Amino acid sequence: MLAYTLRRIAQLVPVLLVLTVAVFGFVEALPGSVLDTLIGTEGGDDAETREILAKEYGLDRPVHERYAKWLVRTVQFDFGNSLVTRRPISLELMSRIPATVYLATVGIMLSMMIAIPLGTLAAVRRNSAVDYTAQVTSLAGISIPEFWFAILCVLLFSLYLGWLPSSGYVSPFEDFWGSLQFLILPAAAIGFRQAAFTTRLTRSSMLDELSKEYVDTARALGHSERKVIFKYTLRNAMIPTITISGLQLANLLGGTVVLESIFAWPGIGRAIFEAILQRDYPLIQAGVLVLGCIVVVMNLLVDLTYRLLNPRVKFA
Amino acid sequence: MSELEADKLVDGAIVWRAPPAPPRSRRLATALSNAWHELRKSRTASIGAVMLVLLFGACIGTPWLATHDPIKQNYRERLQSPSEKHLLGTDRLGRDIYSRLLYGGRRLVTIAVVAVALSLVVGVPFGVLTGYYGGLADTIGMRIVDGLLAFPGLLLYLLFVTIAQAWKLEGVMIDLVLVSALALAGMPEKARLARGSVLAEKQKEYVEASRAVGDSSVSIALSQILPNIISPLIVTSTVRLGFVILIVAALSFLGLGTPPPTPDWGSDLSAARDYMETHPLIAAFPGLAICYTVLAFNLFGDGLRDILDPRLAER
Repeated sequence: MLAYTLRRIAQLVPVLLVLTVAVFGFVEALPGSVLDTLIGTEGGDDAETREILAKEYGLDRPVHERYAKWLVRTVQFDFGNSLVTRRPISLELMSRIPATVYLATVGIMLSMMIAIPLGTLAAVRRNSAVDYTAQVTSLAGISIPEFWFAILCVLLFSLYLGWLPSSGYVSPFEDFWGSLQFLILPAAAIGFRQAAFTTRLTRSSMLDELSKEYVDTARALGHSERKVIFKYTLRNAMIPTITISGLQLANLLGGTVVLESIFAWPGIGRAIFEAILQRDYPLIQAGVLVLGCIVVVMNLLVDLTYRLLNPRVKFA
Repeated sequence: MSELEADKLVDGAIVWRAPPAPPRSRRLATALSNAWHELRKSRTASIGAVMLVLLFGACIGTPWLATHDPIKQNYRERLQSPSEKHLLGTDRLGRDIYSRLLYGGRRLVTIAVVAVALSLVVGVPFGVLTGYYGGLADTIGMRIVDGLLAFPGLLLYLLFVTIAQAWKLEGVMIDLVLVSALALAGMPEKARLARGSVLAEKQKEYVEASRAVGDSSVSIALSQILPNIISPLIVTSTVRLGFVILIVAALSFLGLGTPPPTPDWGSDLSAARDYMETHPLIAAFPGLAICYTVLAFNLFGDGLRDILDPRLAER
């Protein structure tokens, strides 16, 4: 396990390198030079200023040197300042992370609370009404765009019924119950969509387990069906579901851009979206890089957990 | 012998002639009826196929099916309910929603199909060759793929869209940038799949046989192995098409796709939000159109998987 873990960590290095090259290349691919942007914010467009600024920011150096320099600063979490707010980007991003983590975690928990019972029931009562309902619902969940589902929820629960606020955010540390009100709609939108995937998965892995011989043995020994399902099969069937939920969580941490902007949720996805609208290129660059790293590391953690849960998987 | 027929005697000799090949139209009909026969095995696949035929029919027939110019504004007929003149009503600028849906769908489906085709064209040879050669090529190739896969969710597209906006690209160019981003993002999945299948196929006898006959490596990899791994590729591509449509719609919903007044399901939906309380139907139609399209691809892909891989159908 240790050797495997170390090897997987070593494999992260090239992946992260590709990520940094891509993100660095993004700014290089922008039209005009970074100088124009800098001059736009610091003022004074003449040859002398240009030269001084170019020296100061190292823009007179060749690309690979600039990349190396940028990389060294990036590793130290020094992303420079936002062009819009002038605050350090690392602070801007740090302040946005909790909201995203809050939303993504609750969303995934909701999804598992829907998917595991529904998927299990669908597998146990195969071809019953429950099974068909589960299949149709999960197909719908996969096909309905999340932003449309979200605005339909807003239409129903905020505009018609007036039960919940249509958008906004309150930190759970300030006012827990108040923050739940704002959380319900976006988390439900996430939960419904993600549950669509995991319900199917739970159902099919449960069916897989139920067809195995140890189940027949357990039944032959006279164990009740309840015990067979809850004590033996469900545990095994849960492994893929938990793994996929972990991967979904990783992806959500990096990409709830759409829902965060619909619900005015001050997460990191929305920060990047706003930065795009305001052409705050350094912030976009840093934001994408940070999210990319979070996803890569989360994926690794999920993979390692999967192997801990399921020792049969070879450490290939 | 039975396939040949004695036609007539020429100079005392019997001339044997092959029966005329059936006309192309009939051959096509046979192929289609065979395909339909296969599809009938799965109800999901046949429903999906019918939905897709309708969808593609609507996309091809858009100029004839549309009743109005999708961009022409008409302030006298703003926010109308569905009527005989405007089948699905009009939007906030008096544009015909039905015609906008048709033109928007045509564009969206084209973008998705081109993007997925491109990701296949790049990803499959990439995966087949790295898998076939193995060694250093494989290691480097797969690390690149891993790096691309590390880009979470929408972020890769957001980077591309930002670049497109910064260059002040317009019209088709924005679509091209989007298509290449989508293709780049879809490429790793195809490359991995192709590589995995090649690794499995590489061991089999027919590859050994080709090598013994003296075929070159590239031709074995592309002409012998590739045809054997097509079915998983078709299935993932179909499902991916639905996914790509969701992404493109989401991007234009955020206002990062082609700017108005181009008809677009995502941006039309976003614009309709302001009138949601008074005219919910305007927001309903583009959303339903997206659902229909994605559902069609998903059903077809699911059913296809059951047909092509009967072991999974049991589940």
